[in-house]
Amino acid sequence: MEKLKLTTAVLALSASFLAAAPAGAESIEFWTQTYGDQIKWTAAIKELTEAYEAETGVKVNHEIVPWSSSRKTWLAVAQGGAAPDCADMWWLHSFSAIGGDKFGPMPINDFKSKFSVEDFYEGALQDSTWRGDFYGIPWRGDIRAQLYRTDIAAEAGVTQPPENWDEVIEAARKMTKRSDNGEVETWGYSFGSAAKVVDWLMPLYWQAGGEFMTDDGKTATIDNDAMRKALTFMHDMVNVHKVADPDAFEKGYKARPAFVAGKVAMIGSAEQAWGNRLETENPEVDGKWSFSRSAAGPANRASFSGAGYLGVLRGSEKVEQCVDWLAYLSRDENMLKLSQAAGTVATKPAVMATDFWSDRPYKRVVAEALEDAHTSQHPAPAWSAISTSEPGGILYDMIYSVVIEQQDMDAAITTAQELMQAQLDR
Amino acid sequence: MNEKNVFCYVMVAPALLITIVLGVYPMVDTMLISFQSYDLLTVQSKGTEWVGFDNYREILANDKFLQTVLQTVIFTVLAVGISVLMGLFLAQVINADFRGRSVLRTVILSPWFVPPVVASAIWLWLLETNTSPINSMLLDAGIIERKIRFLTDSDTIGPFSIPMLSIVAVRCWNGLPIIIIFLLAGLQSIPKSLYEAAEMDGGGVWAKFRYVTLPMLRPVLMVLFALLFLGGFGHFEMNYIMTGGGPRNLTNVLAVWTYQEGFQFLRYGKAAAAGGIVLVMCSIISVFYLWAQSKDNRS
Repeated sequence: MEKLKLTTAVLALSASFLAAAPAGAESIEFWTQTYGDQIKWTAAIKELTEAYEAETGVKVNHEIVPWSSSRKTWLAVAQGGAAPDCADMWWLHSFSAIGGDKFGPMPINDFKSKFSVEDFYEGALQDSTWRGDFYGIPWRGDIRAQLYRTDIAAEAGVTQPPENWDEVIEAARKMTKRSDNGEVETWGYSFGSAAKVVDWLMPLYWQAGGEFMTDDGKTATIDNDAMRKALTFMHDMVNVHKVADPDAFEKGYKARPAFVAGKVAMIGSAEQAWGNRLETENPEVDGKWSFSRSAAGPANRASFSGAGYLGVLRGSEKVEQCVDWLAYLSRDENMLKLSQAAGTVATKPAVMATDFWSDRPYKRVVAEALEDAHTSQHPAPAWSAISTSEPGGILYDMIYSVVIEQQDMDAAITTAQELMQAQLDR
Repeated sequence: MNEKNVFCYVMVAPALLITIVLGVYPMVDTMLISFQSYDLLTVQSKGTEWVGFDNYREILANDKFLQTVLQTVIFTVLAVGISVLMGLFLAQVINADFRGRSVLRTVILSPWFVPPVVASAIWLWLLETNTSPINSMLLDAGIIERKIRFLTDSDTIGPFSIPMLSIVAVRCWNGLPIIIIFLLAGLQSIPKSLYEAAEMDGGGVWAKFRYVTLPMLRPVLMVLFALLFLGGFGHFEMNYIMTGGGPRNLTNVLAVWTYQEGFQFLRYGKAAAAGGIVLVMCSIISVFYLWAQSKDNRS
């Protein structure tokens, strides 16, 4: 009898717990990568989720996906691994191709009217649209511009940031410092802040007037004069003018410590997030650096631009709740909070017009640089494999063979064109 | 089946189950994938197709892959050879009875507490050309005139390069403690009477090492070599983190190549085929080890 009572009590208690936690209907799982200071980022999302719960009664369970495992996580999700209901995602074109119509990112065309898409930068929307389908809202931008050490520039007699490639060469030459035995103490130029060699080529190629593929993403278009100009510029900076460090093309090279230590004077394509990081993490260089718009190439002054988007995952049973949550996040005031916490540029002009994005000189430059933005996303699922900055990557190998191994440029480009076309035909 | 046997099977079952689920199943599945055209970008739209040995043929026709196979062997032989030689010496030292032995043991074994990923990050900083404190010290001491490009110098002598030797050194540094522990355990199990007998026969230090220590350590050394070669052929972290296989593919090893092929270029079929090559190499070591062990048992 005692056992029966005990069993009944346990069952009743379990039932009451289940009744008190109707998690299935009232909560959604939401994953994000982490941006800037993780504590600040988590606190910002917590503030947003709590406000949303107070407004709608829907609980948003937030989980962090570390950048170190982000790629593997989304690869697993796109192959049917454990997935949240909605998330902060990237590389839509590749992950939607991998997942097909079973897993991964889910188009939400039917809910598009819930978002004021006309309020976003048109270019940013390219990163959440694929083959005409709408997958969510872009929320962060990664715009890159020129970054230089003002103290080194002043010492070298460089009074203005370079406006074009010729001026870049001139300034880099002046700022490169060598010791008596010829060892370089300060490199005048570094191509990019991110340790991704292919990201360095992209803006140079666009600035020379090139595009990597046709608009339908089916034909590779890299065997041309623009690519020769871009690669010649890279080659000459390293081997002719000797103002860029060849070691930067190897894994393990860290641009920020070198820039902070004054071993690199100028970075051609620096992530705008560096402004925030230099301010908060490197007060020792306060007043010694400045951003400027990218230098113009023969054709234009295109700047590398990436974006992340907030979308829904296939398999979620809470699509509508997710869409409402994303619509809530897409409000100007919430986009501003996300932008402030992450330190990344917003994808809405209204947010970029706020005081937050004009209270520092570098932020004003970043806002200007958005006018030069050229998306780094390309309309082909294989782009992620093509643009991989690892040995064996098509574009990486082409750059490396021309700039570091100093092989025949025409042969390298022809080979890369063929391999890239084969990838686009996958 | 008696009760004792049932008990033994029950005790072994969890470990066996884990081995099957986490070891055998993925291995068999990977081997199956290696015979398929498994392209992650098209697997949902086109599915997979059996292609026999095509993946193997393609990767074996790739010069960089063959270079990577050769380097995997060289890396492993160098790292294992140097580590075991140093281990033999250091194990003898810390097995001797002298003042301060505990301190020395702690110092020698301390790299064991550093996970390979952390060790790679630390050594990456120590060996980065521009920021390397090692370079600074050598320059200040006047030993070198120009900075050594530990991880980026692409000059070679045969298959050897400075980046390769740098990574071998780090692998030895991190792997040495476990080798010393193995050998120390082996040394401590050798009866002292054997050394006394050798002394009575007029044997010196070398003779005692050659005719007592080495033969008595043979079983330990065999296990050690088998483990180190198996681990060496599949080694990933240090090469990937420190150089990613560069410069000019000079430090690439099979595990890194497999990772890049699968997770960077999304060609699972070819990545699985590269994994198949690692399996064959490991199998050769295992078969050799089992053969040597059974020969020992017979004799």
